[in-house]
Amino acid sequence: MKLVGIVGSIAEDSYNRKLMTFIANRFNNLADIEVVSIKDVPMFSEDNDQTNGMAVQYLKHRIENADGVIMATPEHNHTTTAALKSTIEWLSYKIHPLEDKPVLIVGASYFTQGSSRAQLDLREILEAPGVNALVMPGNEFLLGNVRDAFDEDGNLKDGGTVNRLANLLEKFSKWVNVLKALKGPEPADAYKNEDLTASGKTDTTIEGVKPGDPDWVEKAAKITNAASGKDYVKLDAGVLTVDQINWFLKSIPAELTYVDDNNQFLYYNHKAPASKMFASRTPQQPGSPMSVVHPDVRNVHDHVKQVVHTLRTGKTDLFQLAEPVDKKNVKWVVNNYQAIHDDENVYRGINEIVFDFWPVVKKYLEMTGQKLVDDPNSKVDANANASAKEETSTKPVAEPVAADTEASASSTEEETSTTPAPVSQAPATQAPAMDASASASEDAPEEPEVDTDASASK
Amino acid sequence: MKHYIGIAGTNRQGSTNRRLLQFIKEHFADEAEIELMDIGGLPVFYKTPDRSVPERVTEMAKKIDASDGVIISTPEYDHGVPAVLMNALEWLSYGIHPFADKPVMITGASYGMLGTSRAQLMLRQMLDSPELSARIMPSSEYMVGHSLQAFDEEGHLKEDALIARLDGLFEDFATFVDVNKNLVYDREHVMQDIRNSDLKNDL
Repeated sequence: MKLVGIVGSIAEDSYNRKLMTFIANRFNNLADIEVVSIKDVPMFSEDNDQTNGMAVQYLKHRIENADGVIMATPEHNHTTTAALKSTIEWLSYKIHPLEDKPVLIVGASYFTQGSSRAQLDLREILEAPGVNALVMPGNEFLLGNVRDAFDEDGNLKDGGTVNRLANLLEKFSKWVNVLKALKGPEPADAYKNEDLTASGKTDTTIEGVKPGDPDWVEKAAKITNAASGKDYVKLDAGVLTVDQINWFLKSIPAELTYVDDNNQFLYYNHKAPASKMFASRTPQQPGSPMSVVHPDVRNVHDHVKQVVHTLRTGKTDLFQLAEPVDKKNVKWVVNNYQAIHDDENVYRGINEIVFDFWPVVKKYLEMTGQKLVDDPNSKVDANANASAKEETSTKPVAEPVAADTEASASSTEEETSTTPAPVSQAPATQAPAMDASASASEDAPEEPEVDTDASASK
Repeated sequence: MKHYIGIAGTNRQGSTNRRLLQFIKEHFADEAEIELMDIGGLPVFYKTPDRSVPERVTEMAKKIDASDGVIISTPEYDHGVPAVLMNALEWLSYGIHPFADKPVMITGASYGMLGTSRAQLMLRQMLDSPELSARIMPSSEYMVGHSLQAFDEEGHLKEDALIARLDGLFEDFATFVDVNKNLVYDREHVMQDIRNSDLKNDL
């Protein structure tokens, strides 16, 4: 279970932060609790809307990706803090990430009666229509006399208090699960909310140049004063010039495309003209919304939305589909849609990796002295189902089954079905039938010109 | 003539609470001098290690201190007092206490029907905290609902009944201010509470 811990104080030395940090460390067996700061959130102002600013977007992402939220509030002037209230106002103005989100309120204070009034107010605020959080009823936790409550290592000294907190956290995690069950499974058409026109914004969106502008790259570079050519760039495990990064990315034997979490196409490793590519791209395309890159014919947009939604919501991190097997045992091109996450595991977009696996398979057979033979038990008709996905073409299995490699390759496949599938199922025998439709839909967006087969196979 | 400070609990230029205070200022120009004080643009409150407050806050505190009373008109955001007003009150009670024993009258305007009832309750509770210790006029709720339609082009309240009620309350407030000057017994007790709450402010 993933929880976000929000501390209502922005003071450098806060007992509520101490309390939250203790909860996060002590109960990491119950939940993965990420403690976030609201220090950079500006004062709420309708005249100066900063919903799309870094600080608010940061919180939005974290809350949306969490199963629940814990808030620790001090009490100032008989109520919660302006800093926390301002944050909630941002999170209930143009965006509503707290809607239907389970929230647990705790609080620490100097005196005995502590943050009781602040907690009551916070509860009422969180239940206001624009916020619509689900605050856990009852179970008030007030930590009084905080100056004496912690030892030097930041641990709560009193065993009884720790036990009460443990009970509380356990109850809360159960409550989160109950609410999840109440909500039921995600509606089947939830994917339709994916905005392929990229009309929204994410915290990396470059403003001041129109998405779809053919000179987008030049203009965006100018606006951001982007590094280029011989400029050095510090990466997390190295330093390269921009030239070197370009050479490096082009040397990878795959077509790479970066689409961000706002569904805007930002980059591809331009190593060949469009006509020579498996999935054609032109240098005028970066900056375009996905809806423009994929013309909306034959339900393509619907299919693209399904893939993006599957990756964004974490149903799978890798979605694969194979190009039609036009020349068996000569070429086997697979489109790999790999979800991109940041260091905090927040969805940041898609890396589309288009890659011909055949040379790899061929080399493997050569080096291990094996050959491919047809599997008489396979239910897949490779010739009829031209657009089927990976299993289809793996069907000719290398005879001594290399269990490990196959398992890992196909376990990701399993998860592409919309219901959460067990990862452990046997790969080769699994689900080619139900995958066919999925892959057909996937095939369409990238290569419309070969799409006739795909839709036919549906 | 009495001298009041008027505070609109908002940083919105087009706020109808600002408009309401502007109307009060003009409507009662013969009875009281009302200075409107802007609370937008202050930094988000945090406990400065040296207990200093922004210079603007010191100026505001001086003006409040010198006034006979304060009229606060609050919008309602998320069932509560707007953060921007909470923020100003936090600064105005951090090591300084201009609201201590200060008579306060509360009004509120909102677009909808309910008219800030929850925000006003919360504001009362805040002003009653030891750090603020204001003297809030009792039994005097004043709300302007559907506030976008409530004013004419000159910024005057359209509804006579609303104006009549305001007249009554404003007169009462002047009396309340005078009566309040006689309430001296609690003074030392309040100051002690305030000193205690300054400790609390270290949290």
